[in-house]
Amino acid sequence: MKVWQIALNSFGIFLRDRLLIVFAVLFICTVLLMMTPLLGAKAMISTGNAAAGQGMILGMVSAIMFFVSGTGSLLAAWCAANSVSSEMKTGTILAVMARPVKRWEFLLGKYLGAMLLMSLYVVMMFGLSWILAWIGGERIQSTTWVLLVYPMVRYAVYAAIAMALVTVLHQVVTMGIILILAVAALIVQPTGQAVTGHIKYLRVPAWIVLPSTTLLSEDRFLTITHASLKQTGWLEHLTTLSYGLDYALVFVLLAMWSFHYRSLTRD
Amino acid sequence: MTAAAIEFKEVTKVYRRRFAGQEIPALTHVSFEVGAGEVCAFLGPNGAGKTTSINILMGFLYADWGEIGVLGYEPGDVRAKEKIGFVPENFAFYKHLNAEKLLRFHLALAGGNLAVADATIRDLLYKVQLQGYEKLKIGKYSRGMVQRLGIAQALLSDPQLLVLDEPTSGLDPAGRKEVKDLIHNLKEQGKTIFLSSHILSEVEQICDRAIIIDKGRLVRTGSLTELLGAGDHVEILAGQVPPEMEPVLAEWGATIERGPHGVRITLPVARKRELAEKLWAADCDVVSMVPVRSSLEDLYMKLVASGVPS
Repeated sequence: MKVWQIALNSFGIFLRDRLLIVFAVLFICTVLLMMTPLLGAKAMISTGNAAAGQGMILGMVSAIMFFVSGTGSLLAAWCAANSVSSEMKTGTILAVMARPVKRWEFLLGKYLGAMLLMSLYVVMMFGLSWILAWIGGERIQSTTWVLLVYPMVRYAVYAAIAMALVTVLHQVVTMGIILILAVAALIVQPTGQAVTGHIKYLRVPAWIVLPSTTLLSEDRFLTITHASLKQTGWLEHLTTLSYGLDYALVFVLLAMWSFHYRSLTRD
Repeated sequence: MTAAAIEFKEVTKVYRRRFAGQEIPALTHVSFEVGAGEVCAFLGPNGAGKTTSINILMGFLYADWGEIGVLGYEPGDVRAKEKIGFVPENFAFYKHLNAEKLLRFHLALAGGNLAVADATIRDLLYKVQLQGYEKLKIGKYSRGMVQRLGIAQALLSDPQLLVLDEPTSGLDPAGRKEVKDLIHNLKEQGKTIFLSSHILSEVEQICDRAIIIDKGRLVRTGSLTELLGAGDHVEILAGQVPPEMEPVLAEWGATIERGPHGVRITLPVARKRELAEKLWAADCDVVSMVPVRSSLEDLYMKLVASGVPS
C-alpha cells in the first residue's frame, strides 16, 4: 500500500516533469523525421518484389524502433536516478521518510513509479511500431506480448542499475556510467566475426557481466518477416526474461542495501 | 523527570568530505533527555548542530557514536515513526499536489483511516487556518502557508511526539501566535514537543525545558526554572523616591532608573520589605514589585557568547 502510494506519486511527478515533456516533444519530432525514408521505401516497392519490400519496410521499422527503444533504456535509467536524487535535492524525502515508511519501501516505490512511466512508454512504442508498419503498408508479424514484455524487462534492468548507482553517486555521474554501460554492452555482444588480440579475452566476461541489451531487445522480433517467421520457444523466452529479471532484482537489492546506509540529507 | 521520549547518550557525528579529506565535527558527545509530556526547546546558533541532531533523531542520518532512543525505539524504526509528527526546517512539498491531496498521501503513508480522511483533513486545515485553500497547488502557497501545511501534516496521525524544526520561521506575528497557541493546546493534551527555534521570547513562554548546544557541544540543559533561576533581585516601581533616600539605596546596591511612569529600583530581595516600608513612610506610592528573572535570551547570549562548556 505505502509502496504503491509512493509509486503513484512518483509517476505523477514524472508526468509533470518539464524536462520529460521537452524530451517527449523532441522525440516525437525526431520520429516524424524518420518516417520520411519509410514513405520513400514504400513508394519504391512494386508487386514483383513484395517479399524483399516487406523485409526492407520491417527492417526500417526495426531500425527506427531500435533508436526509440534504446532511448527508452536511457529514459528508464534517468527516471529511476532522478526520482531518488531530486527528492534528496529538494528535501521532499524528509517529509515522506518521517512517516512509518521503511527505506526499502521508499526506494521500491520510486522504482515502481519509474516502471509505471516506462510501461506507458512501452505501450506508446508498441503503437508506434504498428503505425510505422502500417504506413509502410505492412503488418508487424511478431506476437504482441513479446513486444511489450521484452522492453519492460530491459528497462527494469537499466532502471535498477541507475537506482543502485544513484544511491552512492551523483545523478550526472550515474547517467554517464549508464551510457558507457549501454554502449559497451553493444560492443561486446557476440558477432559472427572473429576477434583477435587481447580484447577477445575481455569480450566474453564483459558480455556476461554487462546487461545484454541485444538479448533483451524486442527489435529482433520486429525484423521477422513472412519468409523467415520462426516461433521462438517458450523455454528461450523464459530463460532470456528470467536472466533480465534476475539482473534487475540483483541491482534493486543492491540499491536497497546501499540506500539503507546512506544519509537522506544533503550534508 | 518522566520516562524519556527522547534519549541522546554521548552522540557524536562527524561529516566527512570524501575527496577533500576534510572532517567537520557536527556533534561531540552530546547527551540529553526529553521526558514524555514535556515541551522542550532545542536552542543554539546557526551551525550549532540542531538540525543534525534532529536528523539523527528522525533516522535520516546515522550517528558515528552514541546511543539514541526515540519513544523506546531506535531512530528510524517505523514503530517510533508511527507516533511522531515532524516539521522539518524549510519544509519542501510536492508542488504539483494541493493541500488535500498531500495530506491524503501522507495519511496513506501513515497508515491512517482513509475512510475518514476527508473529515480529518478538513479539521486539520481548519486548525492551521488553511480552509479555502485545499484545492490550490502547493507551488502557489506563500512561505507561511507552506509552514502551516507542514504543521498540519505533522498532526495527521495524532502523534505522541512532535519534532518541530523552526516551526514559526516564515510566519507573520499572527501566524506565530497561532502556532504558539497550537503548541499550548498540544501540551495540554499531553504531547511531547521537541522544538528548535531562534525566537527565544516565544520559547520562554511555551517550553518547560531547554537544551542549548553550540559548536556541536551541549552547553546547558535543564528546566526553565532551573536555567533562569528564581531571581535574587526584585524590581520596585515607585511613584517617586525622596532624594535623601538615594544614598541609602546606593549603599544597598540598588540601581535607580527614572522614567515617565515612575522610578524603577532594582535591589537585592533581602531589602525589598525595608525599602517598601521606607517608601510608604515617606508617602511614596509603590506601584509594583516583581522578582527580577533573567530572560532566556540573556542566558542564551551569555552561554553562547562565552562558549561555556557543559
